[in-house]
Amino acid sequence: MNSIIPQLIVNSIIAGSIYSLVALGFNLIFGTTKFFNINHGVIATIAGYTVFSLSKNHGMDIWLAIIIAVIFTGFVGYLSEKFVFLKMREKRASGMVMLVASLGLFTALQAIIAIIFTSQFQTISTNFGESKVYNIFGGIITETQLIILAAAILITLVLGLSMKYTKFGKAVKAISDDVEVAKIVGINANKIIAKVFFIGSMIAGVAGIAIGFDTGIEPTMGMNLLLKGVIASIIGGVGNVYGGVLGAFFLGFVENFGIWKISGEWKDAIAFGVLILFLIFKPGGIMGKKG
Amino acid sequence: MKENENLLRLEDIHVHYGGVKALDGATVYLNDGEILALMGPNGAGKSTILKALFGIAPVTRGEIYYYGERIYPVPHEIVERGISFVPQGRQIFKSLTVLENLEMGGFSINSRAVLKSNIEAVLDLFPDLRKKLKVPAKNLSGGQQQMVAIARGLVTTPKVLLLDEPSLGLSPKVVKEVFAKIKEINQKHGTSIMIVEHNLQSVLEIVDRAYLLDKGQVVENNTPQHIISSGLLEKVFLAHK
Repeated sequence: MNSIIPQLIVNSIIAGSIYSLVALGFNLIFGTTKFFNINHGVIATIAGYTVFSLSKNHGMDIWLAIIIAVIFTGFVGYLSEKFVFLKMREKRASGMVMLVASLGLFTALQAIIAIIFTSQFQTISTNFGESKVYNIFGGIITETQLIILAAAILITLVLGLSMKYTKFGKAVKAISDDVEVAKIVGINANKIIAKVFFIGSMIAGVAGIAIGFDTGIEPTMGMNLLLKGVIASIIGGVGNVYGGVLGAFFLGFVENFGIWKISGEWKDAIAFGVLILFLIFKPGGIMGKKG
Repeated sequence: MKENENLLRLEDIHVHYGGVKALDGATVYLNDGEILALMGPNGAGKSTILKALFGIAPVTRGEIYYYGERIYPVPHEIVERGISFVPQGRQIFKSLTVLENLEMGGFSINSRAVLKSNIEAVLDLFPDLRKKLKVPAKNLSGGQQQMVAIARGLVTTPKVLLLDEPSLGLSPKVVKEVFAKIKEINQKHGTSIMIVEHNLQSVLEIVDRAYLLDKGQVVENNTPQHIISSGLLEKVFLAHK
């Protein structure tokens, strides 16, 4: 076996884990509300900077900082729904108007992060998972990356099982099917959607923190992360929880093996090339509906 | 509820969609235990009455009373008050199974035991659904989907059931079954039913009273026999041909 292949596999799995976290939150919100929430990207950025601020600037224990950051980003998502998107839905705003509003919110929050923390690239350097490195069939994986992988698997399983077996999960599917009928049968759709934003944003927060530990943070990281999550969602099937995860790992592998023999700068070009191919030949994605 | 008080009363209801008047001062009431039909040509405002009562139509003027108390409808609160709505066009949750559809019908019920026993009671009423509980609702026939929609509306054991065009798109045989079931629900459980229906012949066979609407206003409120013999039906419907 070529010696670089195990490392490419490890890199692909880690990239897939991070993309899957973004795709999970994005798909959960998109599947329920049917609007393209660009703001989801900056939510991940906020989580990364919250951990950075609490742990590095205020010396807080890293695990406590992570927990606070995840809950905080959940609240940011919840508040964006409560004070922006809900108000617009009540005025029957179109999907396009909602998209533009979410872009506006994204830009404003990203600018605020840049003002507070500057536009410089930062690292969340701590002892968190930095000490141990493992060799798996010749591929090197850090303890941090193993935690990211475990978090992605755990969150996927918990979300998947919740959607299938809990009253909340079934209500989410009912709203996704037809929000008007869901209201008619007595589901408080606005309350469920608010919870979806809270949970989806918390998952995006985990993704932001993961990328912060894996590479680092900068105010503009949210858009790139969002786009990868969206590409993963489209490849797997938009609105489908497991489809997004499948698409994320597919994208991770395609990106990393795609730059095996060429420069890493081609990574984004490869990702978007794959997206275009899917949009032309399989627009519903691997697990989505036809067309 | 006081004596001689209507179970449900919509008073002088006005609904506008943009510049279009869907309801223009309609007053409709439903008594305890009765089956009531809302009839009229397309655009008469029949379905809008049900939607206004459920808080999903923009009421610009008018008042709604339930058990004599004025209410301000919000869908999930209306369900909690004991009113269920089965919308037009077999609107079931297609990605959910039959059982999950019924569970969603009982979303407002917090006790799992109560929900389970209510679903059992509903399945006694619709025994054909028992064999299909794990089947995705989208795989059912049109008639079965309508049964799921009605059954879903009964899981909360409502005091009032609102049915919007339950026979729409169904074969005559299935229509007969659906109307027999509606009568059974009323007689067995004492559920008051307000039904919007185009299939006049079938609906007039089971109702106690009927409203005839035209252009958002009530034209007649009487027994089915009177409405048939008065010739008003022909007059209103022919005016729209």
